[in-house]
Amino acid sequence: MSYDLTPGEELTHILYAAQSLLDANYPLDRLRDSAHVDGMAPLADFGAFLLSLPEESGGAGFSALEEAHLHAALGRHLLAPTALASTLAARIALETGRDGLAQAIASGETRVCAGVSTRNDHFLFEPDGAAMAVIRTDDGLNLVGLKDAEMEPATAMGHGRPLSRLKDVRSVGNGFKADEETARLHALLTSAQLLGVARAARDLAVDYAGTREQFGRPIGSFQAIKHHCANMAIGVEMVSAQLDMAAIAVRDGREDAAFQTAALARLAPRVALQNARLCIQIHGGIGFSAEADVQLFLKQAHLLRNYLGATDFLSLPSPMFPLAKVPA
Amino acid sequence: MMLELAPEDVAFRLNARDWLKANVPAAPAPHEGHPSREYALEWLARLHASGWSGLAWPADYGGQGLSPTRMILWYEEYVRARAPSALDCTFVALNHAGPTLIACGTERQKTFHLPRILEGRSIWCQGFSEPGAGSDLASLKTTGRVDGDHIVVNGQKIWSSFAHIADYQELLIRTEPGSARNKGLSWVICDMTLPGITIRPICNMAGVSHFAEVFYDDVRIPLSEIVGGLHNGWNTAMTTLGIERRTAAMTLQLELSVKIEELIDLARPAPGTAAAEILSDLRAEAAAVRAMTYRTALREPATPFDGSLVRLSYAELAQRIHRTAVDILGAGALAEGPWVHDYLESYSETIAGGTAEIQRNIIAERILGLPREARA
Repeated sequence: MSYDLTPGEELTHILYAAQSLLDANYPLDRLRDSAHVDGMAPLADFGAFLLSLPEESGGAGFSALEEAHLHAALGRHLLAPTALASTLAARIALETGRDGLAQAIASGETRVCAGVSTRNDHFLFEPDGAAMAVIRTDDGLNLVGLKDAEMEPATAMGHGRPLSRLKDVRSVGNGFKADEETARLHALLTSAQLLGVARAARDLAVDYAGTREQFGRPIGSFQAIKHHCANMAIGVEMVSAQLDMAAIAVRDGREDAAFQTAALARLAPRVALQNARLCIQIHGGIGFSAEADVQLFLKQAHLLRNYLGATDFLSLPSPMFPLAKVPA
Repeated sequence: MMLELAPEDVAFRLNARDWLKANVPAAPAPHEGHPSREYALEWLARLHASGWSGLAWPADYGGQGLSPTRMILWYEEYVRARAPSALDCTFVALNHAGPTLIACGTERQKTFHLPRILEGRSIWCQGFSEPGAGSDLASLKTTGRVDGDHIVVNGQKIWSSFAHIADYQELLIRTEPGSARNKGLSWVICDMTLPGITIRPICNMAGVSHFAEVFYDDVRIPLSEIVGGLHNGWNTAMTTLGIERRTAAMTLQLELSVKIEELIDLARPAPGTAAAEILSDLRAEAAAVRAMTYRTALREPATPFDGSLVRLSYAELAQRIHRTAVDILGAGALAEGPWVHDYLESYSETIAGGTAEIQRNIIAERILGLPREARA
């Protein structure tokens, strides 16, 4: 037993299988139709919504580490936050003793969308066909029913993916509140998706910089472009290394799990937004157009950042406190 | 992937913690000159006496041959105990010269130098950069003419840290007449007391002199002091730089996680204020630099050039932490003090050992595979 950060075989296998599923069912060009709604059946069949639940609860018996890496892969494909909401909803249902509901959610039979409710704004993302929602509020995460929800379609940022506004947030009731463990998983997995967005933006930018020619050579041979790309790579490396630290801490119930997850949640949105911005810049005119996929990364980063929310990071003790300040 | 410790590793950590608690000097290290040499050598001798020197060196050469896990444990305890900076005048010997000799040196060179380095009996400096060869190291011009069983060195080196208090220098010179770029170079052990060497310390912007300019005027060095073969110096030097980018910086990178806590303690920002936001970001990045340090040390197989990612993240974060400290201190920063000193010193982070711009080129070309720039 020792420290080891080499990805294990199980993780490699899961990611390999997930990649074929994502390539087949969620290619990026599906989003050229802005009314497109991501179906959840392929992910449900894959067991994505109960990957890290113990087998006795009907789960696949993997851990938060595999789950985090799976969500990074989903993030690359700009999956609707419905996938996140379904994963979290199954957890909340189990925590509150609703095993049947958990099964219905995990199998994709009950669709659960994601939502955000802050002081002035109450939104649901792709709510079509959803019976429930996992809504992020300033006080935490709630699983609510949408039977009596009073909502109306809204135009998403930049005429983006389907969005509805809750006319009266009280119409969905209080629902069931996620416990601390599920709230932490929410931060971990949403951050993982942001990492996926940052990676996809980096790769698209590097690809374009290597092929687009101006002044008779690929623009990626110019230092100004290279350095943008290097900054994107640095951001990805920081978040991805921190994701492993946080995921391992969560998986093992380590004392520093709260700190590591909060650090990750602080970094991931910043890097995703930075990479989306630089990706647009490197693409020039086409990056600013709605005809290329580039702009989708930016909008997804904004969406996920808001679904993630903020925590008071400074109030959490650091595992690297100087010795003089280590609590006894 | 796991971060669990065997009971022996836990015992190792606690042992390190106790030892450091009992042995870290109370007095801070002097910034420059012979007092800094004496302080560093005394500290290294003390480390050595208790089996804490040459941690990454193989046991065959008197090192501890520590596993990556134990290296991390030791350095975490080290920085949390606020032990003397590892980037002192023993750094080049322990982290460049020693490992290079282990990799490329002759038996005689190893037998003579390695114990002296480990026991805290010799200081080394680096002689790579020249006034005309900074980022473009391969354009160096200092020559070594072969004359019988000696080479005769003429030229000039610069930015050589601790040259004026060093015993030996790892000297990279052009030994093959008419050679160009990285061909025809040799990596030579230069005794700093040889006739013909003139050293002029250079004061840096923090007001201390720990680097220097070195002039060579017909300095005769025996051929037997060449490491890794005549005209093969570039390969030898790349061994050294490779080591620098891997493990040696671990302690500095981990130290940021302690420094940011000290800064938060100094600032004590109210939640929701701009200062709290800035410090939260810095703290998250320090955590990520620690995570990258772990990854670089603990992931197999090692990925080439990953060192550039963590090194650059570290360097720029170190600068931002110190800039923030100075912002927080306000007018108080106009007087000399530890944060202010370190703030000024931190300007070297993105210059020394490969500028941030060169590191970004490496990341873009070697990791991301972008087309190389046109070069002379």
